[in-house]
Amino acid sequence: MLKIKYFAQQSWLLIISSFCFGLLIAIASAAWSPRIEQNEKDKLNKLMKELITDANHFEIAIEGVQIPGRKGKVSETDIYNVLDAASSRTGFAFVAVGAGFADKIKLVIAVDSRCEKLFGFKVLSSNETPGFGSKIKEDYLGKQFRQAPAGGLELVKVGNAEVVDSQIVAITGATVSSEAVVDIFNTYIDKIKEQLQTKGLIGNGK
Amino acid sequence: MVNESQASGNIYKQTLLAGLWRENPVFRLLLGMCPTLAVTAAVKPALTMGLCVIFVLLCSNIVVSLMRNLLKPHLRILMFTLTIATFVTIADLFLKAFVPEMSETLGPYVPLIIVNCIIICRAEACASKNGLAVSIIDALGMGAGFTLTLCVLASIREPLSTGQIFEVQVLPDGFVPWAAMSMPVGAFITLGLLLGLVNAVSKRKA
Amino acid sequence: MDTFNILLMGFISIVIVNNLVLTKFLGICPYLGVSGRIDMAFGMGMAVTFVVTLSGTLTWLIDHLILMGTPLEVTRYVCFILVIAGAVQLVEMYVRKFFPALYESFGIFLPLITTNCAILGLCLFINLWEIDNLLEAVVLSFGAGIGFTMAICIMAGIRENLNLADVPQCLKGAPITLITAGILTLAFMGFTGMIR
Repeated sequence: MLKIKYFAQQSWLLIISSFCFGLLIAIASAAWSPRIEQNEKDKLNKLMKELITDANHFEIAIEGVQIPGRKGKVSETDIYNVLDAASSRTGFAFVAVGAGFADKIKLVIAVDSRCEKLFGFKVLSSNETPGFGSKIKEDYLGKQFRQAPAGGLELVKVGNAEVVDSQIVAITGATVSSEAVVDIFNTYIDKIKEQLQTKGLIGNGK
Repeated sequence: MVNESQASGNIYKQTLLAGLWRENPVFRLLLGMCPTLAVTAAVKPALTMGLCVIFVLLCSNIVVSLMRNLLKPHLRILMFTLTIATFVTIADLFLKAFVPEMSETLGPYVPLIIVNCIIICRAEACASKNGLAVSIIDALGMGAGFTLTLCVLASIREPLSTGQIFEVQVLPDGFVPWAAMSMPVGAFITLGLLLGLVNAVSKRKA
Repeated sequence: MDTFNILLMGFISIVIVNNLVLTKFLGICPYLGVSGRIDMAFGMGMAVTFVVTLSGTLTWLIDHLILMGTPLEVTRYVCFILVIAGAVQLVEMYVRKFFPALYESFGIFLPLITTNCAILGLCLFINLWEIDNLLEAVVLSFGAGIGFTMAICIMAGIRENLNLADVPQCLKGAPITLITAGILTLAFMGFTGMIR
């Protein structure tokens, strides 16, 4: 009995203040979490809109697509239907992750509604070398993916960056980062196409 | 009567100014170096981090000062930590809800404010021994000193690494950016040189 | 064999490539304070390794078994710091009882490890990198401690020699240490891209 009294005497402040702090955190969280979730959705939406100009809103088309990557690691992604103002589909978009030079690169990739041509990509997050690998965020690489064929992309070190075909010219001084981006595309596009065909969202073959 | 209020006015002014120069937390007390190096790559994150620290410092100093007579000696560090952790959680939720790009740039360094030595040291050295008014002024002074330091460091690193401050071009177009400034190298060396400068200046003043 | 490869890569990555002190700016305060002599630096490094392995594991367990996916997730930071404070307390009691001489030589540093950004930072990074198995979390925490020890011992070795060099008065102490750390960072940058 004495022990309990001693314990209570020593720690009553701790217990009461823990309650109060917990309450404070709970109130803040309850007040702001809808905004936080909305911000997360908005971030993805904004990037997708930059890729497909007449995009209006997005819906999940297929959830939980499994993409086997290198070394047996399987990553998961969702495919989004990109709808324009009249709610007709203008394309598909998905988030793709792959290993870059320094750290993981996360891209948002958009393809057209038949999954035959690419709309391009935007970098969601990357940690590449500033001044070199960070150039994957710039137009030089991004432009080469617009209207390129979906699948079978190949990285070359020299070539004509203006010609839009399946050959992607690497950024000078950032070969590994450029290679990483092309790799991500190749790993994901085939699987995505397969999933879309299986679910009947695009036609089967030619 | 007049002398007393004059004296107390002086104490407030002294405490406020101490945090800015004489006892500047980063340059003189050598506290809080981790965020100083990590977030000063650009001025906007530096300012955001500084404001967060001011908020947490203010709230924690107020709470600790109100509780100071009720604290048991061997539980006080625990109480300080709990208080600070609560307010940092609230600040983090606020950032995520209202300024999501800054929340992403600052990343894990916002929760690291919990272990920022400045806040615990001020709680221990000042708030737990002084009244409410002095604690508030001390928090504002130290917080302002810290924010100032962060901004000074960032305004050296950002123009040299990207030629801009706050996205406004300040250096001529022909300037080749020093990519090293946005990397850890630039952070360490700039802080070291600034510290040396401050040491030299205060030695000459003394 | 594959798991072993992943673990080995993770270990090397956090010790050399993503060294907590030199690339993530964690643990600077003790880094500047204790790197005066190699034996003190090594002792501090070992203490940090022990605490960080323990806390990394515990916080991962608490995060995955209790916090994730529940409304309690928002109290993550509070829980982490409490676990770390508890772990440091444990280590202190253990060291005081069984290694009193070591305890004497540590002085103020042991309780100071609680506010060492490296420990909370590592727990948060494990959470950020979405490490989803326990073994990987343990290996990464241990690696972080080893990386810290390595960085601090290198710095101590350099500083012992710096004492004999002719450093300008205003740069003595913290400034020259920071500049040295910057150059060390540059050297370690050569390891980026080692792991793909």
